[in-house]
Amino acid sequence: MINRKKFDFTLAALLLLLILLGCIAIFSASSSKIGDNITSMNTWWKQIVFAIFVIGIIVGLLRLPMPIFDLAILPLYILNLLALVIVLFTPAVNGSHRWFAFGGINLQPSETAKLLTILMVSRIIAKEHLTEFKQILYGFGIVIMPVLLIVIEPDFGTTMVYWIALLAMLLAADVPLFYVLLIISPVVSIVLSMYWLAVIIWILILIFLLIRFRLSWVAITIASIVNIFTVLIMPVFWNGLKDYQQNRILTFIDPTRDPLGAGYQIIQAKIAIGSGATIGKGWMEGTQKNMNFLPEHHTDFIFSVVGEEFGFIGSMFLLLVFFAFFWRLTVVIGELKVRDRKIAAAGIFAYLMFQTFINVGMNIGMVPATGIPLPFISYGGSNLVINSLAVGVILKYLNERGFMK
Amino acid sequence: MNKISPILVFRIVLALLFLLLSAALFRLQVMNGTYYKQIAESNFVRIRRITATRGEIYDHKYRPIVTNVASHNLYLISGKVNNLPALADFLKLNFGLERADLEQMIRQNRFRTYEEILISDNIPYEEVLALSEQMNYYPELAFRVGTTRNYQYPNHFTGYVGRINEKEYARYHDEDYSINAHIGKTGLEYFYEVLLRGKDGREIVQVDSRGRSLNLFRNDGSITPVNGLGLVLTIDNDLQEFVNQSFPANMRGAVVVMDVKTGGILSYISKPGYDPNVFMQQISPEIWSELNNSAKPMLDRVIHAAYPPGSVFKPITGSLGLERKLIDRFTILSNCAGGMQVGNRFFKCWNHAGHGRTNLIEALKGSCDVFFYDLSLKLSLDDFHDYAQQNMVCVKTGIDLPNERRGFFPTTDWYRKTLGKKFAIIGRKVNLSIGQGEVLTTPLQICAYFSALANDGMWIQPHLLESTVGINRLTRDQVHPITKKRLPMSASTLKAIQDGLYAVCNLPGGTGAHVKVAGATIYGKTGSAENAMGRTTHAWFSAYMVTQKPDIAVTVFLENAGGGGGVAGPIAGRILNYYAGNIDKITRPVPIPPQFMSSDNTDTEVENPDANPAEKPTPEVGND
Repeated sequence: MINRKKFDFTLAALLLLLILLGCIAIFSASSSKIGDNITSMNTWWKQIVFAIFVIGIIVGLLRLPMPIFDLAILPLYILNLLALVIVLFTPAVNGSHRWFAFGGINLQPSETAKLLTILMVSRIIAKEHLTEFKQILYGFGIVIMPVLLIVIEPDFGTTMVYWIALLAMLLAADVPLFYVLLIISPVVSIVLSMYWLAVIIWILILIFLLIRFRLSWVAITIASIVNIFTVLIMPVFWNGLKDYQQNRILTFIDPTRDPLGAGYQIIQAKIAIGSGATIGKGWMEGTQKNMNFLPEHHTDFIFSVVGEEFGFIGSMFLLLVFFAFFWRLTVVIGELKVRDRKIAAAGIFAYLMFQTFINVGMNIGMVPATGIPLPFISYGGSNLVINSLAVGVILKYLNERGFMK
Repeated sequence: MNKISPILVFRIVLALLFLLLSAALFRLQVMNGTYYKQIAESNFVRIRRITATRGEIYDHKYRPIVTNVASHNLYLISGKVNNLPALADFLKLNFGLERADLEQMIRQNRFRTYEEILISDNIPYEEVLALSEQMNYYPELAFRVGTTRNYQYPNHFTGYVGRINEKEYARYHDEDYSINAHIGKTGLEYFYEVLLRGKDGREIVQVDSRGRSLNLFRNDGSITPVNGLGLVLTIDNDLQEFVNQSFPANMRGAVVVMDVKTGGILSYISKPGYDPNVFMQQISPEIWSELNNSAKPMLDRVIHAAYPPGSVFKPITGSLGLERKLIDRFTILSNCAGGMQVGNRFFKCWNHAGHGRTNLIEALKGSCDVFFYDLSLKLSLDDFHDYAQQNMVCVKTGIDLPNERRGFFPTTDWYRKTLGKKFAIIGRKVNLSIGQGEVLTTPLQICAYFSALANDGMWIQPHLLESTVGINRLTRDQVHPITKKRLPMSASTLKAIQDGLYAVCNLPGGTGAHVKVAGATIYGKTGSAENAMGRTTHAWFSAYMVTQKPDIAVTVFLENAGGGGGVAGPIAGRILNYYAGNIDKITRPVPIPPQFMSSDNTDTEVENPDANPAEKPTPEVGND
């Protein structure tokens, strides 16, 4: 049931372009060049196999009758929660329990949980009669279950994705912006609590925005007091921590404190990207990559390979493709009229965009290393399949326009 | 209310984030591109491993046994290779490394191209000097100073270290072994690897080619290496040296000297020996064939080979008889007229003249076989098996060395499996009673048993490690508790056995009566074991000495050397005399007087070829 008139070729083409760019980057990242000899790991053709597989899945999804798709989500969500519980009992890989291994293929249930949770939340909070408060509460309730299970694994980076997606979905559900502002304000306050000037500016901006939203003075006062209190309580809380706990948090904020751990990778990625300069060193010619300074360069640090080999021009090209892709998504969200589909699309948009930003930001040393891969580009079956499937869901929703309304 | 479309919010956030990333990329790549290019080209930002110094090994008076010495090693960074043929020629010319090997090495490390691969270690300093000028043409090569092991004397207990191989690397690289690491391969180096190796450190190298810090990292964050613990052994270098020199030339065998109160091994000799230092360099084919000749110099005859014990086993048979109340110390058994008829077979005694009618003490003194033949008829085979094992013979002693052999003592089940349903168990028992037949023991087990007899029946696990030195001072008990075990014999049994052993060395007619030590009392037992390895018997002598000083137990074992009393006894006598202080200076190896070369032969029956003593299991290699 692929309707040519309704099928969004632009979005699909951008998706395919991203996957193709990913394959090119992975081929280079998984090869090393000594003298004139080039040796490659088998990752790049695995990625091509996954790409073909995922295109097949999207075609299948588009042909799937809508009622079956709608019915499947709740059972799949519950099964996924179970998988998240079971995965905690698997042997640890690199100190965390994240993967099921089936004959060389690793399944990461926290990846599938992202998409299913977004679909679940959109379904629940789209209901017309809900008050705004209940929308927030239900959304929070659905998200917290996978998040808690993922925190136990432990995998903190992934959980951030859920909160960002939830915020975007609440926005798309027409929950007023000030609610969102109120929810995130304590988090911002905690982050800024180390710099007094930043705190004062932030609180002033907050009060200004809340006045613009015409909240009652009582509400504004309470919000301000809560935020100031959060800032004041932080030093007490901080001093209560043990030295090593403080160090761990400081390293998370500033990885260069730990040159032998995460800091090393980030600095090396930065050197690789920086040394690419304007035009880059050419495909397969990245010296930092060839010298293998970066152990993870075909997964989380793939962007550094692109930056090193194709320079500023190449990395900007990749960023612009991403930008066009996300811009197209915002256009598409506006075209979706069924409420829960629109909310779901907004969640998917936010989660893909957040991952892209965090990953690229991590590669250029702007944000801490979190272990979030670059969507569509980084090597990894789970990453490619789930992210593409998420786009596939939006393509399906677009394809079904006009059937319901 | 001020209504803002969510899509507008998304677009603003999207635009802001991408603007931020673009700006950061512009700054990183366009504005600072040259700076990072320089860093990248100098390849100077990396983590370097600082290898911890391996612990040294000392004797119990802190004299060195294994030390570290400086060595010059050649490393390759495969990612820097430009001209492979030239490099291959250079390495082949100077280090004899074949091109195929080099290519394989590079291939194996193709995903570790920034790590240094050790190509050749222990390069003589002259060669380093001679080559250093040419090295400028090969930036991918670098000499580094490291340490290597120096073994003070040939021995079998220290073992040696070697480059980690692929199998070991796959197994241990999670424990922070680098691809160039050295790892204990055998002996104490293997057994106490965890104590000896220490913990490697790390440093972050962030200097440019002029030595200026690049200041990329807030703090340098290096981890200093923790050096390995030194081992203090119970070995006494003087005694070890003396025993080594007393050992008759061109003979194969083993000598163990144990402190009976502590279980510590004072001297541990297996002959012929080999020098572990040969493993510190590339081994030439000549040395390799030398190490694998028929005398098997690599074989540790103290624990890695099990032999028929012969008559040194008789105290165990005797004490079982006493414990089961089959005899007491005065019981006189069958008359020995040079042998004894059991069923349709005649089992000979080694003394064709016969010993007459004897009790246990006299039987031990003259090593009369017939007494034990007769006793064995009353014993149950499986009880015999269990009792031997309770005496810690034919079981692993648990010495702190790898791959110890267990030895062997047959059971009824084992016979049934090997021989089928029909076999004459009586004949088997008769043989076993004098330490012949299928029973196999290691010299260490015999020494530990005699040591326990000296120590009022308290068996103490033999061990080499006394304590560690270095950042941690651990006693052997803290590293791993020493097992102690009371042998299953009453005080009166023990007294009877001790009296028998006393008679061997001190009463006229005793087979070890010539082993005399002024100022000390010797308790011992001779043994001459028939074996499948050759015509001549294995010579055994195991004894302990009671003096004012701490008492010691000595076991001397010589492969196919002749009679225990004649050949092994004098060596044990010299060692005991030396320990008692009667010999100050070591002179030269004891020549074996020709008249001792054949006497004291335990002539057991050899009528049934397939039941030949010690043929199954083979005495030399693995039934373990």
